[in-house]
Amino acid sequence: MLSKKSKYLQIAFNKSLEEVSQMINLLPPSPKIILEAGTPFIKQYGKEGIGFLKEIWSQKMGNKAYVVADLKTMDRGEREVKIAASAGANAATCLGLAPIETINEFILNCKKLNIDSMIDMLGVEFPFEILQKLKTLPDVVILHRGVDEYEHNKQKQVPYNQIHRIKGTYNNVLISTAGAESAREVLSGFFNDSNIVIVWRSFYENPQNTKEIAEEFLKLIK
Amino acid sequence: MKKKSKDKGFLFFIILIIILIIIGGLNVLILILSFVLSISIIILILNFIDSIKKFLNINLDANKQKTVKIVEKESVNINPEIYSEPIILRSTSQNKLEKRQKYLHIALNNNLTEAKNIISEIPDSHKILIEVGTPLIKTYGIKAIEEIKSYAPNNYIIADNKCVDLAPREVEMFALAGANASTCMGIAPVETINSFIKECQKYNIDSIIDMMNVPNPLLVLKKLKAAPNIVMLHRGVDETHFSKEKQIPYYQIKQIKGSYNVFIAVAGGDTIQEIRRAVFNDADIVVVWKSFYKSTKNISKVANLFLDEIK
Repeated sequence: MLSKKSKYLQIAFNKSLEEVSQMINLLPPSPKIILEAGTPFIKQYGKEGIGFLKEIWSQKMGNKAYVVADLKTMDRGEREVKIAASAGANAATCLGLAPIETINEFILNCKKLNIDSMIDMLGVEFPFEILQKLKTLPDVVILHRGVDEYEHNKQKQVPYNQIHRIKGTYNNVLISTAGAESAREVLSGFFNDSNIVIVWRSFYENPQNTKEIAEEFLKLIK
Repeated sequence: MKKKSKDKGFLFFIILIIILIIIGGLNVLILILSFVLSISIIILILNFIDSIKKFLNINLDANKQKTVKIVEKESVNINPEIYSEPIILRSTSQNKLEKRQKYLHIALNNNLTEAKNIISEIPDSHKILIEVGTPLIKTYGIKAIEEIKSYAPNNYIIADNKCVDLAPREVEMFALAGANASTCMGIAPVETINSFIKECQKYNIDSIIDMMNVPNPLLVLKKLKAAPNIVMLHRGVDETHFSKEKQIPYYQIKQIKGSYNVFIAVAGGDTIQEIRRAVFNDADIVVVWKSFYKSTKNISKVANLFLDEIK
């Protein structure tokens, strides 16, 4: 379970299994670094992929290893949460664009199985409206700029302006921002009061780069 | 002198008659000859036709023998104890959908053993499409596609990956694993849907846009650079379970078909009446899953019922 007072750097993995262990070796062991099994990664390797990530990270972190399964659930909330939890994930994601019934079911089952629920607001214009409709609040809200969105439309911004709006009303919810492409954007995520910043692109292209971001981040939050 | 001239005239007359007779005789001869010739030509043609008929008959027989051979092979292949190679349960080949044909789309969601059982139960028809459901993909990864493809190598396989981001990566993954179609959510960012459709064209697989939780699919289609191959009107499992009053918007089928040259799939019906209604409302593809057919044994019944219905 994540703490409200801490900041976290979430590193998304989308590469092949072989490269994953090599990359994890570069990372400094810290409970403030959490790993994510990205959606393409899960769709490629399934449950095994999540389990593998958890195992490798556990070798370094012991029982403090925290792994997020980026399921991007759209339907069958119960079934998908079970898949992630049984693979050893500590958190799972559900799309804010999913039917409300699915999000409710997803949050309920995350509570049952004792993992964190994350609602990914990719493509949602007003995350606030979704939260209002829910029976119970999720643990984390992810504000998200999609990779394809950014690729084709460089003007799209990570919606930092939503952070305070959500925190002002729902102060028990952690905010995670996704879509940062550079060290500077990572910093601006934390500066804008997000609890978790998710990085992936820099990682894809250069593992060394991510190692630096991770170290810089750890220095910063000390 | 007069007699001589008379003789000359007479001689001339006789010669003329002889010439005429000769010409007439020649004519008759020519006529007879041409008659004989035409008859012989007719006989030749008849002979030719006969020989063609014989040739065709032999070929037809050969075909019959071939099909019999294939059937025999299949029945041998189904026996797993004799052959250790992958068991091929189907034989009809199907890569692309045909217009004006109705299809039954069977979604497999539980686990691979059950999937295998279901595939062995359903009738062998190219009108049946097989979907590898999202839970299967998230549990087994692309292995799920490869495995199911190996049970039904000639069937049309749909990867229900429900793409919402990183479309190029996902399409590549599932196309290479052997899927004939991949799904993308209609609620995904427009940039994602556009690049999804483009990638599907590149890999020569069908693009399916799943309109779950989209109030007006036409608005989504209007924003796209190119139309997808299939539009799926979808009521989710959780929606169906928790809000029974939600209806499948059948009226949208004609609306969309009026403006776009796409196939329409309808998902979320859980009674045979709803299947009938979908077909009646001009849906091309009807999607069913386990909660619909309840038990594995039931699936062949449902499939046969459907195939009878769409005849």
